[in-house]
Amino acid sequence: INPYDYEEQSVQQIAEQQQRASPSRPSFGKKQLPTIPKNTAPITKPASPATTTQSINGTHASYGPFYLEYSLLAEFTLVIKQKLPGIYVQPSYKSALMWFGVIFIRHGLYQDGVFKFTVYIPDNYPDGECPRVVFDIPVFHPLVDPVSGELDVRRAFTKWRRNHNHIWQVLMYARTVFYKINTMEPLNPEAAVLYDKDVQLFKSKVVESVKLCNSHLFDQPKIDDPYAISFSPWNPAVHDEAKERMFTHKRRPEDHHKGLQVSGLSWVKPGSTQPFSKDENSQQS
Amino acid sequence: MMMASMVANGNRDGQALVLTGVDPETCMIVFKNHWAQVVKILEKHDPLRTTNHLASAVQNYVEHMLFLLMEEDAGQAGAMGPILEFVVMENVMERLFLWSLRRQFTDDMKLEQLKMYEMIVGQARQPLLHHKPVLRPLMMLLSSCSGTPTPRVEAELVLLLNQLCCVLAKDPSVLELFFHTSEDQGATNFLIFSLLIPFIHREGQVGQQARDALLLIMSLSAENQRVAQHIAENTYFCPVLATGLSGLYSSLPTKLEVSSEEWHCLHREDWLQMPALVQFLNSLEFCNAVIQVAHPSIRDQLVNYIYNGFLVPVLAPALHKLTLEEVMTTTAYLDLFLRSVSEPALLQTFLTFILLHRHENVHILDTLVSRVNTPFQLGTVSLALFRTLIGLYCEDVMLQLILRYLVPCNHMMLSQRRVVKERDCYSVSAAKILALTPSCCSPEHSPPPLRQLDSILWSKGNESKTEESCLEDGSGHSCIIGSEIYLDVSYLHYLYDARLGISSCIRACRVWSAPYDGEDPPPDEYQASALEEAGASRGRRAQMVNPKGAHPHPRPRPPCQTAGPAPMNQLELEWDDSYDAGPPANAETTAAERPAQPLAPEPPKHIQALRRTATMLVKGSYIEESDFQDDVMVYNLVAKKDVRDTLDGRRSSQETESKGSETESQLNDNGHGFADSSREVQEVPLSNGLSLPLQRATVEVGSDTERSKEVKENIADHNSKVQSPTATDIGDELVAQYEELIRTLGGGEVGAGTEGREPFQNPIVTPTEEDEMDFGSFSVDTPEVDKHAPSLFGTKLRSGSARSQPLPFTGPFVSVLLSRLENMLENSVHVNLLVTGILAQLAAYPQPLLRSFLLNTNMVFQPSVRSLYQVLASLKNQIEQLASTRKDFPELITSAQHCLLARESSLIGHGKTMVYLNTQ
Repeated sequence: INPYDYEEQSVQQIAEQQQRASPSRPSFGKKQLPTIPKNTAPITKPASPATTTQSINGTHASYGPFYLEYSLLAEFTLVIKQKLPGIYVQPSYKSALMWFGVIFIRHGLYQDGVFKFTVYIPDNYPDGECPRVVFDIPVFHPLVDPVSGELDVRRAFTKWRRNHNHIWQVLMYARTVFYKINTMEPLNPEAAVLYDKDVQLFKSKVVESVKLCNSHLFDQPKIDDPYAISFSPWNPAVHDEAKERMFTHKRRPEDHHKGLQVSGLSWVKPGSTQPFSKDENSQQS
Repeated sequence: MMMASMVANGNRDGQALVLTGVDPETCMIVFKNHWAQVVKILEKHDPLRTTNHLASAVQNYVEHMLFLLMEEDAGQAGAMGPILEFVVMENVMERLFLWSLRRQFTDDMKLEQLKMYEMIVGQARQPLLHHKPVLRPLMMLLSSCSGTPTPRVEAELVLLLNQLCCVLAKDPSVLELFFHTSEDQGATNFLIFSLLIPFIHREGQVGQQARDALLLIMSLSAENQRVAQHIAENTYFCPVLATGLSGLYSSLPTKLEVSSEEWHCLHREDWLQMPALVQFLNSLEFCNAVIQVAHPSIRDQLVNYIYNGFLVPVLAPALHKLTLEEVMTTTAYLDLFLRSVSEPALLQTFLTFILLHRHENVHILDTLVSRVNTPFQLGTVSLALFRTLIGLYCEDVMLQLILRYLVPCNHMMLSQRRVVKERDCYSVSAAKILALTPSCCSPEHSPPPLRQLDSILWSKGNESKTEESCLEDGSGHSCIIGSEIYLDVSYLHYLYDARLGISSCIRACRVWSAPYDGEDPPPDEYQASALEEAGASRGRRAQMVNPKGAHPHPRPRPPCQTAGPAPMNQLELEWDDSYDAGPPANAETTAAERPAQPLAPEPPKHIQALRRTATMLVKGSYIEESDFQDDVMVYNLVAKKDVRDTLDGRRSSQETESKGSETESQLNDNGHGFADSSREVQEVPLSNGLSLPLQRATVEVGSDTERSKEVKENIADHNSKVQSPTATDIGDELVAQYEELIRTLGGGEVGAGTEGREPFQNPIVTPTEEDEMDFGSFSVDTPEVDKHAPSLFGTKLRSGSARSQPLPFTGPFVSVLLSRLENMLENSVHVNLLVTGILAQLAAYPQPLLRSFLLNTNMVFQPSVRSLYQVLASLKNQIEQLASTRKDFPELITSAQHCLLARESSLIGHGKTMVYLNTQ
């Protein structure tokens, strides 16, 4: 199967999921604020934003979760703005601290690879350590733990600095490792040694690994969550319409804008700070 | 042809019901027979002596005939059917009309004729109006009805006109015929239209039908240049419409019966109780609809008439009535009108009026802003008006209200400019602002939920339970680990509302000209070229004004720009000082309330505004209201708190200065000099009471000599001459300027009476008013004067040196709003809801300049600039203090929360009905 088909499918899946899930949003009852993903180690230090706020202001620890949620939403918005090639992520339904993702490798050694992963963000974000990236299936790669599937992100973000480091950078890094192989201090020494000593064997192992990953593509998501990314074989009844929507989507924003009765008003000529400075001709609505 | 008709008839089910088995030939024979009978009567009998018996016989025949005509189908290829052909050949309709005209042309006859046409026009199966023998008598009939018809005739007439308009809308080719026929008659072109005009403002069904019909013609005008031109140039449609608004407005109650203290704007259920207001709104809605569909030339003419025929002569004075109640009522009307109007062109007209029109030299906007701080209902209603204005997402409004004071970035430290665009990803500012929550209101102290709600539980996650176990605990929506926090689900509703507000605001602001992010518009350029920009904009305006010949009906523009075709010279352009109001010459106006002394870092403008309001209220004409005495006392009590620090010093300076010379008093202070308003138009009175607008470099004048020096300089500037400040005799210059003015303006159309000439009509300063003016700013003793000394010299200012010290001021509206916020404890709940609502509206705006000013607590502002954070901090202290002095405070808080929740539920339950709440 052409990897781009996967890609298309996954996007459709995401779109569908969002559509499915969106209407249920207004019923707020089920909405959960970020909880701690199970894979995260219990917090041992009182460094969460909530406690920090508390120590500073005494009384207002309670807003901490909301600041956290807001920060994560801001991060997600940044990710969307970056338009990282071949990378799709979506926060989980249950926790804003857990994001589901998939990465499509379009060329290089890992070409045709479609790797699902999960991003775990520490709950004291942005003051804690860097987010973790764990592949659903451990990819054969020097920097990916062959047992847990975790990518060594920390080497790129030794110290997570608020305002400077963003989650999109982590995702960017997760993509880069497949194009530019680094064998220093590997989590998978076998892969590192092979890459350095016997590239041909390394390559064949990679191909095997890619095949394995792709063969599990239609498996149920590893984590049960309404927003988890799941793949399904192409089904025209379901997907054709979604595909159609995707391809028309690009034109939609402007159309939408045009069709909509202009809700805002301006008679200010660009470059001027005078009210009603626009030429009369351009005022005609 | 017969065959074809027959076939056609046979195929028609509808017809089969009516004329079963009757073939066209038979119909024709019947028609001819009837006509022969009618003609016999018509020819044999003198119409005046025709007996009722004969008349009704004619009527019967005619009814049958018309029925046959109506039911006849067109011939092949659109040719006339045989009956119609006969009608045209024999001139049936005209003969019938003339006959009835020669009899006593009573209302009954008119009605009969009108109904006749109504029937055939509305139901004929072939076009009848294309034929002159049908159209001409119709036009004669309509002409005969053009006088002052009785209600019965009126109703029938309007119905027929409405039907004719429907025909026109379907078949515009008839339009030309209407014009031609009218020409034949030598009567007014387009009779249909002229006949409808008197019904524009009519109540009830007749009015509605007339307006609907007119709208059809308006839509036609958009396509048909001839119709548009005719309506705009040969009819009184637009003036009637606009002056009608004035007439209807005058019948509105001048004082509203206010049901309760919480009342702040006219809701639907309010105005539905007021027939006069309903009628006004109908007409306004009609104007709105006309502007929507009509040809641009009609639209432009109409908005122009509305501006010059309603807003300026009627609404402006109404906004400056003598009593608070009247002013409040007008403000509420204005608010309602703004909410009722949807067409951008009409909104623009209203907004131009509010933002740029000056009534007695004060911008309407400035007056409205100053009224926000009045502690009476007027203040509340004014707040509601601003809520409406801000809710329009209009760049021009926001520019004049707030943004123009922020664009130069003078309100912040220079180093802060790069911070403007920064986003607070980690909610640092939110944390800081929320830390100002009084301890009595913190979530920890909140009582358990008063309603049964889904609550959101947040786990701090310091227990080792797994995600699954806590999520699937059966309730489906709670997560309980360790210490949890209860949050009302309304928090999510709040988020939902906030998101909705923010996203719709962002969407709306896409049409704005600039992002207002501290870079565009560029702050430095704006400052450095403030003077040039002002000049340039005037130049632009002049270009807009000049080609008047091409636009016989200019759009509304600042009234200072004369509407006449007179050539603009530089002097005249100076009248259009779009930056700010001129001097508050008339003490009755609220000019005195304007936040003044922007140059001075202390005292804050809003305090001065308060004081001025107080002065005005005591000295001004409001005092004529006997029942106002109490209000003054209330006001003074409120004002005292703010004023106490500053009042004394300023009062003394005022006293000394009030002894100044006549010139001094006439060159009164308009009370500002906002960062971007360094040039002011000042009225220099001449000996004959006329006044001459002069541009002044600044409003702050230290002494007589300096002032006259400045005057001279400005005059020199006007003439573009290089003159030594001391060389010229000021008198000569003034006379020269005056003559020039007269020549330019007087040569035009002085009689037309746009307010551009107001200064001529109203000598602005009278001795009595002098007493009420604030001379504080003239004071030589006040410390501010030193600061402004450099700007007294126009040349210096021009060189830019005077602007090296930007004057931090965020504008009167922000001052007033923050001042009301700071008085939260004294305000009623409804005022507080309005104030916080407006702040929430402002906070939703995406412009970084505004957002950073309101919400970025890390920004470092100039010391004289008050920030929202400071005001909230002061509020927190006030509340903590109050809480510590009242033993029952916790109980009060609880009952207040109950009240607010009850209010919310009642809002959900009963629409807009508000529940009265007691503050404390």
